Amino acid sequence: MTVQPSQDGAIEAQLAAAIARCAGGERSALRVIYDIEAGRMAGVARRMLRRQDLAEEAVQDTFMRVWRAARTFDPQKGAARSWIYAILRNCTLSILRDEGRFSPEEEKSEDAAPVTESALTLLPESNALRRCLEQLDEQPRSAVVLAYVHGLSHGELAGRLGVPLGTVKSWVRRSLVSLQECMG
Amino acid sequence: MSTQQTDRDRDDKALAGEYVLGLLEGEAKAAVERRIASDAGFAREVEGWRARFAAFDDATPPQAASDALWSKIEAGMPARAQSAASATPRLRFWDSVPALRASIYGFAALVMVLGVALGVAVQKAIQQPVMIAVLLDGNRAGAVVHTFADGRSVLLPLTAMHVPDGKALEVWTLPSRERGPVSVGLMNQARTLQLQLKDLPKPSTDQLFEITLEPATGSPIGRPTGPVLFKGNTALAL
Repeated sequence: MTVQPSQDGAIEAQLAAAIARCAGGERSALRVIYDIEAGRMAGVARRMLRRQDLAEEAVQDTFMRVWRAARTFDPQKGAARSWIYAILRNCTLSILRDEGRFSPEEEKSEDAAPVTESALTLLPESNALRRCLEQLDEQPRSAVVLAYVHGLSHGELAGRLGVPLGTVKSWVRRSLVSLQECMG
Repeated sequence: MSTQQTDRDRDDKALAGEYVLGLLEGEAKAAVERRIASDAGFAREVEGWRARFAAFDDATPPQAASDALWSKIEAGMPARAQSAASATPRLRFWDSVPALRASIYGFAALVMVLGVALGVAVQKAIQQPVMIAVLLDGNRAGAVVHTFADGRSVLLPLTAMHVPDGKALEVWTLPSRERGPVSVGLMNQARTLQLQLKDLPKPSTDQLFEITLEPATGSPIGRPTGPVLFKGNTALAL
């Protein structure tokens, strides 16, 4: 989205073609996807999992699933890049939600506000998502940003923001309605 | 558009957003995934949220993606292309269904004993299952699959299962011979597992379930490749 549209379109076309070749069993096509996206994917996984080993595991899981599910990719239903990142997000969240793998004392301490702020400032000032998030009240904004950027669950958001679970849930839903109206 | 419709529309949009944020779990998440598969309008809402939030991923600094990581991925891929593998589905085990069914009847008594032993687990699941499959290894019961009236299925292990490093337990079902085996769950150790049956018809009686040993990320070809540890068919719960 922050890339120029022409470059965006070229990458999208390359990824869609590579997925189609994966569906035909061409191993070199998976490497094409790896070369284009693995670095960014590792960054996204690391942002949520905070551990290099787990981030690599998420990327590895994602590529295995891309390879196995390539035949189910339907360009009519969505973009290739979006499909790959949806798989990455699923793999990352399933590692994150696997209770046996994180000790409770990990990543609890930081205040929500500065973490939210630093995630928002990564986005260009003109970015629609940033502008629309900035229109929300501070705590509901934090709930949405921390859920997406760091993969916090409803329960973790409630803990981090110091409010009951029901409050977090209604903040998120109301924020999503506002965001949808703001971004179209 | 009526106010009610507008409200429902708005609820759907928020629900799609919650799903993309990763805030739905368990049955709520499974229900949304079923709906994505069956409701194109709702699937577009989900896609819309992915596109809106993608700005965060695009803005995240990339990391080095090493050749070592690629080697691991490559090592996990099947030696032959998946299209070739799927042209010759494995039939050896699935052909033994009648023999397996006979052994299931032989274990009807065991099922009843297990029914009592599993009373606690059943209560935990709130509802009574409408169907039960006991997965056996010879005459040893390894796990049961409970299917509830709403189509939800849960696997409950009854015994420890040894899982070597780099391996995982994958759960399969056979909705029909034509379709062949479908993966419905993957776990790195024996534990209670919600099975992913969202793209499948509700399980029917005599439907086969089995657990095989597979690579840690699951079978690379979408069909069982490793040894069958436990297998059994569904039967109506009395």
